[in-house]
Amino acid sequence: MINWVGLYTLTSREVGRFFSVYRQTVIPGLISSVLYILIFGFTLEQRISEIQGISYTMFILPGLIMMNTLTNASSNTSSSMLQMKLLQQLPDLLTAPLSGFEIALAYIIGGTVRGMVNGILVLIVGVVLIDLPVHDIAGTLLFIFLVSWAFSSMGLVMGQIAESWDQLAMIQNFFLTPLSFLGGVFYSINMLPSWAQSLSFLNPIYYMINGIRYTILEKSDSPVSTSLWMAILLTILFTSLALIMMQSGKRIKQ
Amino acid sequence: MSEFAIQISNLKKSYKNVHALNGVNVNISDGEFFGLLGPNGAGKTTTINILTGLVFKDSGNCLVFGKDTVVDYRETRSKIGIAAQELSLDWFFSIEKLLYFQAGYYGINRIDAKSKIDELLNKLGLEKKKDSKLRQLSGGMKRRFQIAKALVHDPDILILDEPTAGVDVELRHELWNYLRELHSKGKTILLTTHYIEEAELLCENVSIIDEGKILKEGSPKQLTEELGKSGVTVQLSKNTNINNLKISSLDQEYTVEDSRVHFSVKNPELAIPKIIQELSSKDIAIYSIKTETSSLEDVFLNLTGKSINE
Repeated sequence: MINWVGLYTLTSREVGRFFSVYRQTVIPGLISSVLYILIFGFTLEQRISEIQGISYTMFILPGLIMMNTLTNASSNTSSSMLQMKLLQQLPDLLTAPLSGFEIALAYIIGGTVRGMVNGILVLIVGVVLIDLPVHDIAGTLLFIFLVSWAFSSMGLVMGQIAESWDQLAMIQNFFLTPLSFLGGVFYSINMLPSWAQSLSFLNPIYYMINGIRYTILEKSDSPVSTSLWMAILLTILFTSLALIMMQSGKRIKQ
Repeated sequence: MSEFAIQISNLKKSYKNVHALNGVNVNISDGEFFGLLGPNGAGKTTTINILTGLVFKDSGNCLVFGKDTVVDYRETRSKIGIAAQELSLDWFFSIEKLLYFQAGYYGINRIDAKSKIDELLNKLGLEKKKDSKLRQLSGGMKRRFQIAKALVHDPDILILDEPTAGVDVELRHELWNYLRELHSKGKTILLTTHYIEEAELLCENVSIIDEGKILKEGSPKQLTEELGKSGVTVQLSKNTNINNLKISSLDQEYTVEDSRVHFSVKNPELAIPKIIQELSSKDIAIYSIKTETSSLEDVFLNLTGKSINE
């Protein structure tokens, strides 16, 4: 038996939480994406040659969508969970008739919604400002959804493990941001020396960026099917990890 | 349904090398007002945290109306409302919204929750503040919100962990009255406290806990009669012959210090007339007389050799 009202309530709390501070959770990603477009579009683009026959601004935009999506999805769950722990709100959930599975699912959906809202908004900015051609809108939305879900789950794992904001920032700054930048947001890996190319193949975010780039621009460093399978694999992996951790309660109970 | 609202048997919990609970046993009847009395760090909070699912037990059992709190957690948690010692904070939502969330976690939708939430906001004097965030409330209001949150799903059992810690006298009395009212309506109440007065005034039965073990249980009256230090002290005139002061109707020894005589009796008020009568019949002049009523504090001191607030 699932506590549907409980699941719905916690999900709407999680979604409502980030919408209530949209200036902090939605607007910044939009502003930085517009800045990227302005800076690259009006200044640097004239000095940087096209990549795979695509103007530079257009080339980086799918990567920006992906970066915005995964950063927002993961930080929603990780910061919400840590905040719950630090502000003594977690007992409200743990003493209620909610299973670990329901709590985890509600958090993951909350983070997924934030990831998708942010990703889709940057996509819209791209379409409006630089006529970004979206060749396969269903594919694009599928990638945004899968990456939101996967990184929302990853954030929930991080939020359960972390015991301070410092630890959370460390995971974000030393792991997520470098992997995003090195995943080929700003370049094609063909421009890298071969050793660096081989390293990129180990970076899961590389596949996410190239997957969405293919659905938008029909250009990619890796086959789109590989990217899709990697996205599905990551989703399954992180979702399982988050659910098992939450159900066991080992990191959130004494 | 079990006649016991709560049955805790042989509950054990250790943190690394510290034994927080060493086999705690507590039985609380349906409709009882029960106190878990002990100093800070005695194991009160650990006990209720295990009962409500916040802490894993090492061994032992917790049953709520006969159902296991681990196996049948959905059922047992629905029957319990808990007001924790630590006040929680929320930066995002109004207190009314938080109450709707809390009801939702217990499977109650907005429409069904409305009348209860309105009633609680009104009853606990939070109506005017319903659109405020938690941080905008005073300490007393936060405490009242905590109780509203515990009652939002109309639980059969209300657990309060140190509900009046750090609360001013006026609010403390208000809360006590409210708890009495809830109890009179049939709620089972489990209260943890290190305030002797609170346990004596409110609880029908108490368990005294120290170092993770229940030392004694019974009604406050029983315990003070059995283990307290009540008595009557009579001040006699200086030249009184203090031989043969034994009061035949009281089967009690007495002690004499200067011209003061102390009779250790369990019920001082009832002993006074007998003492006066017998001493007068022996022509012994009484200068003054006073009673000493025992409290649970004496009981605690007697059991542990230390004060509850140490």
